[in-house]
Amino acid sequence: MLRKPLWKVAALAMILMIGACSQPEEAQNIDANAAVQEGSEAEGGNLVLATTAAPTLFNPYYSTDTSSSTIEGFLFSGLVTVDQDFNPEGDLAESWDFTDDGLRWTFHLRENVKWHDGEPMTADDVVFSYTIPKDPDYVGPRGLPFEIIEEVNKIDDYTVEFVLSEPYAPFITITAQFEVLPKHILGEVPIAELGKHPFNTKEPIGTGPFKFKEWKEGEYIALEAHEDYHLGAPKLDGLLYKIVPDTNTSMAQLQVGEISMAGISPEYVGMAQDLEAKGMVKLESGPSNAFEYIGYNLRNELFQDKKVRHALTHAIDREAIIQAILGDAGTVAHGPGSPANWAFNPDVPKFEYDPEKAKQLLKEAGWEPGPDGILEKNGKKFEFALKTTSANEIRQQIAEVAQQQWAEIGIKTSIEVLEWSAYVEQTSPPNWNFDAIVAGWSIGSDPDPTWFWHTSEIEAGLNYNGYSNPKVDELLSENTQIADLEERKAVIAEADAIVTEDQPNTFLYYPEGYLAISPKLVGPSYNAANTYYKIHEWYFEQ
Amino acid sequence: MTTYIIRRCLMAIPLLFLISVISFGIMKMAPGDPTALMMDPMIKQENLEAYKESYGLNDSIVVQYGRWLGNMVQGNFGESFIRQGVPVSELITARLPNTLLLMLVSTFIAFIISIPLGVWSATKRNSLQDYAITVVSFLGVATPNFWIGLVLIMVLSVHLGWFPIGGVATYGEPFSIWDRLHHLVLPAFVLATADMAGLTRYSRSSMLDVLRQDYIRTAKANGFRQKTVIFKHGLRNALIPIITIFGLMLPSFIGGSVIIESVFAWPGIGLLFMEAAFQRDYPVIMAVVVIAATLVVIGNLLADILYAVFDPRIEY
Repeated sequence: MLRKPLWKVAALAMILMIGACSQPEEAQNIDANAAVQEGSEAEGGNLVLATTAAPTLFNPYYSTDTSSSTIEGFLFSGLVTVDQDFNPEGDLAESWDFTDDGLRWTFHLRENVKWHDGEPMTADDVVFSYTIPKDPDYVGPRGLPFEIIEEVNKIDDYTVEFVLSEPYAPFITITAQFEVLPKHILGEVPIAELGKHPFNTKEPIGTGPFKFKEWKEGEYIALEAHEDYHLGAPKLDGLLYKIVPDTNTSMAQLQVGEISMAGISPEYVGMAQDLEAKGMVKLESGPSNAFEYIGYNLRNELFQDKKVRHALTHAIDREAIIQAILGDAGTVAHGPGSPANWAFNPDVPKFEYDPEKAKQLLKEAGWEPGPDGILEKNGKKFEFALKTTSANEIRQQIAEVAQQQWAEIGIKTSIEVLEWSAYVEQTSPPNWNFDAIVAGWSIGSDPDPTWFWHTSEIEAGLNYNGYSNPKVDELLSENTQIADLEERKAVIAEADAIVTEDQPNTFLYYPEGYLAISPKLVGPSYNAANTYYKIHEWYFEQ
Repeated sequence: MTTYIIRRCLMAIPLLFLISVISFGIMKMAPGDPTALMMDPMIKQENLEAYKESYGLNDSIVVQYGRWLGNMVQGNFGESFIRQGVPVSELITARLPNTLLLMLVSTFIAFIISIPLGVWSATKRNSLQDYAITVVSFLGVATPNFWIGLVLIMVLSVHLGWFPIGGVATYGEPFSIWDRLHHLVLPAFVLATADMAGLTRYSRSSMLDVLRQDYIRTAKANGFRQKTVIFKHGLRNALIPIITIFGLMLPSFIGGSVIIESVFAWPGIGLLFMEAAFQRDYPVIMAVVVIAATLVVIGNLLADILYAVFDPRIEY
């Protein structure tokens, strides 16, 4: 399916790819009858997007859900954004430069930027916004990306300088993508109250291509074109973000053309292909910036032997999983990362489907079949529980396949399907109450793998496996300090290869994303980085 | 009668209190809290802690319940934990009318279709029509209504284009009753199907019981026309058990509306409840529970009052 718009941070780093498939998933639609006018390029019309999960509030320093951050992307602008290949591109900033030590960043702002209320946007707004999360009174989720910032200085009305405490490569792809808020409106609000301020839900004012019009509770959020948008007035009249909680329903809307652009989750790919054949939609696809895996809890004795982990991987037929469960909407993964990402390393150790080899490896590790056919070692049976969440049907099916295939090599597993919150609570710090999980990660606009594999991320971070390898730690600590892309890529590649060899996870597949687009809509194209790239240039064709 | 109603209302208070205690307990027993959705490596634990602290999530459950109850008795449902700064009452006021409208209309549809069908079926007992109605009723009982909803959307909306797919009104068009009805018919009908089948069966058997009574025979013997006997003497008495069913149906309408609202993108209170439950938005969950419980209590009270209206033997 279509992963979130990586407008910005949204995709921040790697958002736990929960029910990536069934949770806050998005479909984008176009009001079919709204746009058609004469001429080949019909100006106007409403772009209609749909979401299964209602947004919460429109302030990037406080919201955490996909719907909100998508809409924030329309309403606000950051210093930079990313293009369709994750390369940073100036947004509010026309250009930027940094000192050789990577500690001092200077952003040169565009001078023609206007807030939706007509006020000019200046360096003061940037300084105001980027110091919010650093305020001791700040109660919000975004402290981390701003931790490395020592100072934010206004040089003149259109120049801002950042001083960092250490060189940090993701500064430009994560921190500098945070949207800027209007100081002339929020400057006097005590920071402690900013999260609850009516600005966030009733009257957000930004510099983005669309301005806030109406939030009809439970129904839709309506936006209209910001004619003074600094990159040019949007060709669309407005944007309607509908709340359609049931995917079946939004897919029905797609079918009648009420939705002409929608992210398609794997179970609906067949239907979308039908619609494509009938000429009702254009269907585009590509790798999404994510990977799916079965993760092992390395605190559990069962999984501490690398040979055992290799065996577990060799026992799983990933080709078959992709074919049978995903309808081919994915490619076999051997290691972490994603082919959608510039830092991807395809050249990692491979673990083919080979149950005989799996048995052999387990034998070498000291596991012998017991009287009931289940492997035993020192009187202990090889059995464990495989957990996943009810929020994601595909993962449940994968769990069933894994259970069967492991049974064939003498390993007994039980499947536990948990409701999302329960699943998170059990599997995350400080509980780590799991043997193995079927899960997935979505990678953000920066490919830094520190979150998943660094030892420092075990205690409270995303390294749920409890994976620790000093060499990997060293490489990962190095990776964020390197400003040069190629150099950094090599370091990440090396770390990914070591992780693959260690197989703390059985890496399953890289999901393929699908986007169904109205044949009349010109502009959008499938990409994992920025779904709404240059949305102000989109238009409906006659 | 008035004293009876007042007494019943007073009795409802401890009942609602008990419901709120149990609901709060169950809600808090469910794993996770509002921060469970903020799973993101870029979120520091300290930030989450500060958030929990600011919403009092670290206090003991008794303290949290006490705080909620204290606000609640003053008519204050608090603010949403997720939609920060938004009063729960604002969300409820936006959503409740949609649900009430849906419930009223679907109750109306259920009764207007089921009772005549049941009566007809009873008077034509063991005929082909009776069997046909019975079979359809049982099919109706056995079919989950979200499925009926999806099938109707596929057939009537997607293929035939007769109805809009979800929502309460067409965006961008001025308010019109016709447009609202157009959006309302399908969800209301589907929600009604849940109880229609049962209701038909009940009214059939209730009517059959009544038709066997002596006074019906007397009425017939007196030479009243069949129609008069059935509708004047029979139906009124057959309706009494149906009133009980009406009281019992209310909770199922509220419960059923969660699913129907989801399928038809109907922005009602059921959908709000579902969202809040997934997000662990405690104040919203509790507000919906209290409102739903109150509706059920009122519904039952209404049923009891209706007894007295329809059954001369009952007096309060």
